[in-house]
Amino acid sequence: MVTRIVVGYTANESGADALALGGRLAAASEALLEVVMVLPIEARGAVVPPDTGYERHLKERSRGWLAEASARLGDGVEQALHIRYAESFAEGLVAAAHEFDASLIVVGAARGGLLGRSRIGSVANDLLHASDVPVALAPAGSREVPVSLGVTRITGAVGTRSGAGSVLDISVRLARLTHAPLRLVSLVSIDLPAGMDEELASLASTAHADDVLEAARRALPAGTTATAVVATGDTIEQAVKALEWHAGEVVLVGSSRLAASSRLFLGSTASKMLRELPVPMIVVPRSTS
Amino acid sequence: MTQQEPVQHHTEPHAPLTTASAAIDGKEGGISKKGLSAGSVGLIGAIVIGISCIAPAYTLTAALGPTVSEVGVQVPAIILVGFIPMLLVAFGYRELNRRMPDSGTSFTWATRAFGPWVGWLAGWGLVAATILVLSNLAGIAVDFLFLLISQIAGNPEIADIAANPFVNVVTCLLFMLGATWISYRDMQTTQKLQYWLVGFQVLVLVVFSVAALIEVANGNAFDATPIELSWFNPFAVESFSAFAAGLSLSIFIFWGWDVTLTMNEETRGSEKTPGRAATITVVTIVILYLLIAVSLISFAGVGTGEYGLGNPDIQDNVFFHLAGPILGPLAVLVSLAVLTSSASSLQSTFVSPARTLLAMGHYGALPEKFAKVSPRFFTPGYATIVSAIVASVFYAVMRFVSENVLWDTITALGMMICFYYGITAFACVWFFRSVWFRSVRNVFFTLLFPLIGGVILAVLFFTTLIDSMDPAYGSGSNVFGLGLVFVLGMVVLLSGVVIMLWQWRKRPAFFRGETLSRAVAED
Repeated sequence: MVTRIVVGYTANESGADALALGGRLAAASEALLEVVMVLPIEARGAVVPPDTGYERHLKERSRGWLAEASARLGDGVEQALHIRYAESFAEGLVAAAHEFDASLIVVGAARGGLLGRSRIGSVANDLLHASDVPVALAPAGSREVPVSLGVTRITGAVGTRSGAGSVLDISVRLARLTHAPLRLVSLVSIDLPAGMDEELASLASTAHADDVLEAARRALPAGTTATAVVATGDTIEQAVKALEWHAGEVVLVGSSRLAASSRLFLGSTASKMLRELPVPMIVVPRSTS
Repeated sequence: MTQQEPVQHHTEPHAPLTTASAAIDGKEGGISKKGLSAGSVGLIGAIVIGISCIAPAYTLTAALGPTVSEVGVQVPAIILVGFIPMLLVAFGYRELNRRMPDSGTSFTWATRAFGPWVGWLAGWGLVAATILVLSNLAGIAVDFLFLLISQIAGNPEIADIAANPFVNVVTCLLFMLGATWISYRDMQTTQKLQYWLVGFQVLVLVVFSVAALIEVANGNAFDATPIELSWFNPFAVESFSAFAAGLSLSIFIFWGWDVTLTMNEETRGSEKTPGRAATITVVTIVILYLLIAVSLISFAGVGTGEYGLGNPDIQDNVFFHLAGPILGPLAVLVSLAVLTSSASSLQSTFVSPARTLLAMGHYGALPEKFAKVSPRFFTPGYATIVSAIVASVFYAVMRFVSENVLWDTITALGMMICFYYGITAFACVWFFRSVWFRSVRNVFFTLLFPLIGGVILAVLFFTTLIDSMDPAYGSGSNVFGLGLVFVLGMVVLLSGVVIMLWQWRKRPAFFRGETLSRAVAED
């Protein structure tokens, strides 16, 4: 499935994070990496007069940036470099993903996140609202993970709600492509008003999560093995912290129930996870029919 | 940047590279719709950009007073005549832009034609002129902001706060900060909104003029002056000095119009679109200017009374003072029109020094930092911030040096525009010297038009320079017995020379012509 991966590149740290993650995923799954820079359409506004000379300069500069990026990526990853024009970065990337029939878009998620944890930047946010293709968010610091590490594990975050189906499918396929072990996780937060019987509530939620995982495992195609973990904590953040994470791991989550069909949108659980996750997250559209 | 790429910043890509762009290179990638970047401005879009760059509401409120003080009632004549040198030079601009599209415009073209020294000074002239106008724009915007607040609050005293230099400078710096932020992030209003804003601006100016004429007809005018045909006769201006000073101001009022000619050779539609956009823009602007000039002169006269256009206290910002007496409660519309006009003009004006500084950095005429492009917003980030800081410092200093800062910067600005436009016009003539007589078209567009335009601008530049030594020139502010306008002009030009010599010591490669060599048009 993952045969082409689009990397939304910008010549800054966030772009370097995206490039490193894209390179690592492409190397592990033997995919072709399409490194795309999206330049603004000059004539999109009506204030600044378009200037061919400046556009030429921008394009020249972007070529330079792409060449530098390509050199940094090395020859280990099969790659192609592209410059595209669009009204916005997100729009340009989605169009590029369609153009190359790519199955994944990788962007840097970071914007001043603290201590290596990602807080979502406006670019990634726009993309999550516009894309019908799974989007991988590379947290700050992804550029320091070597490509040779590959993908050491795929974790699918399975919820009870709709969307879990496609997360499961894509996790399985990605694990197969990258030859990585698969782990299914169900997050449980026990965040109750004071006075309620915490133990009982905890028991009920955990039992529910166990059921979910069991159902998910049963849904796995024959021949696929997966470990399953229920993570508990007072909050989703704590539940995420309670789990152990590999440096080379990738997490898949489904998009929000509120998202339009086959469009992405980060739900509240996923946003909370993103805040704590030390590893990249791939957001999968609710239904990829 | 140009066909010649002497500065090698990067290596060749390892991997194949594709670009979906028909508009920029023409030949590669084929005609593909998604690649069209530059070539998608339609006729209306081009006119709107043109008008919003000229910013008629802002331009007139700033320039009408100083022009009246030079030529009296003959302002309409000066507006008509002032367009001629602008048009002639714009033709040269267009030829150069077609042959060597480059973000450095005047700097790059003058360097190609006359070598690094003249080129450097042309670039300096452009940067200085645009920085002067940035500070003036922000100053006008500050006045109107307070006026708007006072009109809304119904308290006339609030408008006077703008006269307090500290409040004024602080507000102005905040404006600059906002404009810098917007320019750095390249946040443009959408075309639709801009259409409304420009339409609103034009409509308000028409209403303003018509209201003034009605007041005259009703006998309510401050100093009703009957309209005469002689207002349109340039020969009725008293002296050549006054004529020259008026003309250099009228260069300023048309400044920005040239973008409609040069902005896009591949405008959507047909080949005729850019020409038509330029024509429609200029006809609209000239009619608007004439209407306002005639109606305001006939309402307020050119005397020095309270609302007279000759009153030095109101001359640097005439709409500010006349909107109330003419429109009464509707005066708030004028404030809104000037504010929105200054705001969009502030943004389009920011682009020009930043791009020229970027080109100068790129070719090694300034530190390489200036060539930095923001990787996220694709704007010349460093150059934008430097321009903003210089404009802010300039405004703050000038506000304390001269009470009539707005007025004097406008006059000095006219001089700087003559300087760099003049050099650009001559650069066009010289660059195309080998092809002058290849066709009748070339004779006019690469030789006669830019040559005549350049000579007119040169005469204006030197006349203004000499006349402005008189301490009574312009607003009458003076430094050591020399007119402030002269001092301003000389300080700006001489500091350019000093910085140029310093850069020559630090970065000799550019001055040896190694990064951007002289050239002549071929074929």
